Amino acid sequence: MRKIAIGVSAWLALVTIAHVSMNVNWAIVLNDRLPLDKRKLNVAYIPVT
Amino acid sequence: MFQGFPEIKEALMSNRMQAGFMVAPMAIALRAQGVPIKIVYLGHRYGSAVVVQKDGPVKTFEDLRGKTVAIPSRYSDERLILFRAMAKHGMDRGDIRMVEMAPPDVAGALAAKAIDAFSMGEPYPSQAEMSGFGRVLFHAREYWPDYISCVLVVRQDVIDTRPEAVQVLVDGIARSGLWLDNPPRKKERREHAAEFVGRQYFRQDPKLLKWALTNPLDRVMYQPLTPYRGDFELIVSLMRETGILERPIAFEEYIDVRFAEGARTQTEWKYEPGDAF
Repeated sequence: MRKIAIGVSAWLALVTIAHVSMNVNWAIVLNDRLPLDKRKLNVAYIPVT
Repeated sequence: MFQGFPEIKEALMSNRMQAGFMVAPMAIALRAQGVPIKIVYLGHRYGSAVVVQKDGPVKTFEDLRGKTVAIPSRYSDERLILFRAMAKHGMDRGDIRMVEMAPPDVAGALAAKAIDAFSMGEPYPSQAEMSGFGRVLFHAREYWPDYISCVLVVRQDVIDTRPEAVQVLVDGIARSGLWLDNPPRKKERREHAAEFVGRQYFRQDPKLLKWALTNPLDRVMYQPLTPYRGDFELIVSLMRETGILERPIAFEEYIDVRFAEGARTQTEWKYEPGDAF
């Protein structure tokens, strides 16, 4: 039982780390934590001229 | 980077994005619906075209009667340009079937013959030409001098609380436009821009962007980018005529010209291809 719990926890941790590293844009997260007047503006565009 | 204008609209409304480039009629329609945004600058001039199958049955504009043409959005200048051309050729509004399609999908749809033509901004007309299956039927400027497509919109709360940041953004675009359109170095600079924009921002083949920016050199223009009243009043009147704007809207309600005026004294970037950033 203990081995299963460790295995599940390890798998959960692995998937969480993979998700956070691949899907979280840390530049945006950190930017959002800056004071309002210091934040960079996020500018949206599509790949057209 | 987004793949379509509706997604940009949602990102602006939710404040995930504070500014964005979108087609001018969409920005005007959003403002008319009460969304707190303003147009502050243009992204470019010209750079849209109607493209047909290279060896297909459409040889002239009248041949598009009864055909299916892809447009980026109902709220786009690429749709309005078709109405302008239809009016000039004595055609009725229902003579062409228009379907909305995400810009990156149109070249493939034309190649697969799922559509007969598309009206779209660059580099998709260039993509169809370069790949050998598309032919430009006409460039937007042929029916619409001083044509505008994408504009820069900014959330009103950002304009109110951080006007200096908006000015920095507009100044940067103005400087880039001057840099790209500098007559003696235009070709060299545009080729260089195609390389780094293709690799770093658009994730597209730089050869494609080189084609779009240099074939010919005035295919897309980056000056003047100031939003002029006459240009926008024409767009509003076409929107009203074609049923995508329910009420008249004053220029001042959807445009804030102070940032364009503030950028008038800007000069081009001091940078040459090959210099270190």
